[in-house]
Amino acid sequence: MISVKHLKKSFGAVEVLKDVNLEIEEREVVVIIGPSGSGKSTLLRCLNYLEQPTGGEIIVDGMALDNTDINKVRAEVGMVFQRFNLFPHMTAMENITLAPMKVRGVLKEEAEGDALRLLAKVGLADRAAAYPEQLSGGQQQRVAIARALAMKPKVMLFDEPTSALDPEMVNEVLEVMKELAREGMTMAVVTHEMGFAREVGDRVLFVDQGLILEQGTPEEIFSHPKEARTQEFLSKIL
Amino acid sequence: MDMDFELMAQAVPLLLTGAAVTVQITALSVLLGILIGLFVGVARISTYRAVNLLAAVYVDFLRGTPLLVQIFLVYFALPVVTGQRIDPFIAAIAACSINSSAYVAEIFRAGIQSIDAGQMEAGRSLGMTWMQTMRYIIIPQAARRVIPPLGNEFIALLKDSSLVSVIGFEELTRRGQLIIARTYASLEIWICVAIIYLVMTVSISRLVAWLERRCKIDDQR
Repeated sequence: MISVKHLKKSFGAVEVLKDVNLEIEEREVVVIIGPSGSGKSTLLRCLNYLEQPTGGEIIVDGMALDNTDINKVRAEVGMVFQRFNLFPHMTAMENITLAPMKVRGVLKEEAEGDALRLLAKVGLADRAAAYPEQLSGGQQQRVAIARALAMKPKVMLFDEPTSALDPEMVNEVLEVMKELAREGMTMAVVTHEMGFAREVGDRVLFVDQGLILEQGTPEEIFSHPKEARTQEFLSKIL
Repeated sequence: MDMDFELMAQAVPLLLTGAAVTVQITALSVLLGILIGLFVGVARISTYRAVNLLAAVYVDFLRGTPLLVQIFLVYFALPVVTGQRIDPFIAAIAACSINSSAYVAEIFRAGIQSIDAGQMEAGRSLGMTWMQTMRYIIIPQAARRVIPPLGNEFIALLKDSSLVSVIGFEELTRRGQLIIARTYASLEIWICVAIIYLVMTVSISRLVAWLERRCKIDDQR
């Protein structure tokens, strides 16, 4: 589904991603962990060109990102942000229906029907008319997930989706993500939630200093990490 | 010192027709200024270096030279180049709206840049184009924030429009001058002119304050 070859990204003189190679299969859930500043968020943001790579090749669903209309690719790749980024001047319903109507040309009634189903799926069927500021952080993030799903994406990217949440709201968001994973959604998730990584991750990548230092099943990474830096990182957070 | 109140009473209707013209120029110029200013403001934040630079030069030139000189440039200097006289009304509107557009552009630029970068990212990540995201996400949010500074610009322009009296265009100030030329009643007429300007500017600032309140209420729905 996603193929990354020799991906490099520098911000000025700072080399954030050095040489990343990665394949994500259809229906696979890949969890990306690593210390802050390791480049894991940048890696995720390169996958839909929110960051433009300095070098290398990214192919998503058969489309090479550097010579395809990027909007076409992004329509197939949902993204959920750490800080939700809901549109504050629109209701939950409007947040969800905007892109399907403007990008896919879906009719309003149909888009609203889809939105209601998605809101029900994330447990917010009764909050369609609410504005983001009337919702808790956890609710906002669930609306943001519904908004991304409304485009019927083939892949979902999650950039630390629970890091900005109060602790008691983390689970409601993780539950929605687990449900998605069970339904077979292809997912790449940057997170510090190791419980989530263990439970739903098919593969865990440990990113450090701009490289994928180690990867494997959750069992391999969490119970038998090979690299010293992986061990050190895990010992700090587990 | 006696004030001739009878003369004032006679002059006011004449001055008011001038005031109507002032409102007309101001409203037209603001409207055109907002239209041009929106484009220039968006150009100012464009990532295309050339577009950005062009817009910056435009804004700097218009903010860095007096409106009076700009009026002269349009009314007196431009006809030298084109060989055609310009109607004072067109010249007045052109000078005022172009001048205003530079200030409006900066207001829009600041308004747009005050919106969190995550909003653009969210819009783009959904597959919307830059233009679509601007139109549906960024500009509607920025619009609420630019209402107060736009109101100030509207008021400033209404007062600055008195400058077009120098090209003989008969708005409020010019009407005052013409009446004084006939009656020599400087004191009475300038007081009337000042009061009429004051009434207009205060009305506008009230209107803007009301709009601002309405948007706040909208925000709290």
